[in-house]
Amino acid sequence: MIDGLSYGLMIVGLIFWFWGTLPLVGDRSVLFKLHSLSVSDTLGSMSMIAGLLLKIPREWPLLILALISLAIWNTVLGYVLAYCSYRDEDDD
Amino acid sequence: MNGIIIAMLLALLIPIYEAYRDSHIWQKMLAFASIATKTSMMILVVSVLRDDWMIGVVGVLILSVGNAALMLLAHVIKRSDEAGVYEP
Amino acid sequence: MIDLWNEENLYIVAIAALLPLTAGLVIVQVNPYFALVMRGILGAVAALVYALFGAADVALTEALVGTMLSITLYAIAVRSSLIMRLGIIEPDLPPEDLLQTLRQPLRPYHLRLELVPYPDQESLQAALQDKEVHGICFSPNPEITHIPYEIQTRVPRLYQILSGHLPLETMARLNPTPEFTPTNSL
Repeated sequence: MIDGLSYGLMIVGLIFWFWGTLPLVGDRSVLFKLHSLSVSDTLGSMSMIAGLLLKIPREWPLLILALISLAIWNTVLGYVLAYCSYRDEDDD
Repeated sequence: MNGIIIAMLLALLIPIYEAYRDSHIWQKMLAFASIATKTSMMILVVSVLRDDWMIGVVGVLILSVGNAALMLLAHVIKRSDEAGVYEP
Repeated sequence: MIDLWNEENLYIVAIAALLPLTAGLVIVQVNPYFALVMRGILGAVAALVYALFGAADVALTEALVGTMLSITLYAIAVRSSLIMRLGIIEPDLPPEDLLQTLRQPLRPYHLRLELVPYPDQESLQAALQDKEVHGICFSPNPEITHIPYEIQTRVPRLYQILSGHLPLETMARLNPTPEFTPTNSL
């Protein structure tokens, strides 16, 4: 039961990954890609880590640390990339 | 579990192809950000698969520190953009 | 020792194949900034491969030194070396379209143009003599010549790059580089 749930969470994470990464190949603007990428990458990775946590609860400090750093860093990185690339988008 | 890693590998190939294809510097940076997250997640999954703490710690460290490199690089590129109208 | 050709471990071979792939992508990049981003991707993939083979310490070093430190240092080095410093006189700045035309021949070489302002003609010439700038741009006395701007560079290679550019020659006069002697070399 727990095993099935953890596999389910990981597969949900994979679906998120593909859903967010596939728009990267198109010719959309940087900000559009950044939005779909940061949302889906963070959510997908977090659901994957939750799946791993259910699989091996013994390593919880490590996985919780990964969860927190993922949430914080990816959000900050999204902001920094958007801020840095914004001036370029002006003249498009 | 092997199937999940193969699927993650396929997801990793998409941004690599994008980084090769697109000749706009910020699109490449986006692909780099995506790859950095994906590789460290793969390290974490492999560490749980093998039940190896050591690799897991490395995965978490790369996950949290790898993004710092990206931010530094983004700022340097932004500043050379401003100073010299560096057009990609 | 991991048995690589066991069906269970085939994914290791697939992931390890990413390493030569991304390394090849680094080599084919022409633009130095693109090559830096590609080097970052190579570093991330390399850390993954090293961790996969159980070398946790090598993977950590690759991520921290090989990717983070070396990319930042190289980015700063590329930024400060691929540059042409052009001295100008502060009150009468050269028009923006002249600067845009000047950037065109520099672009294929990924050179940036940095403007260094000086208060008057004497300090501008002195800066060129003292090698503070690679070239200077000034408007000569209008009674002698009808061309509004003159560009003088002390680097023969820059003169070579700029002199073949036709739109620039209609907008400003490019003075030839002085004879190459040990005293005016880089």
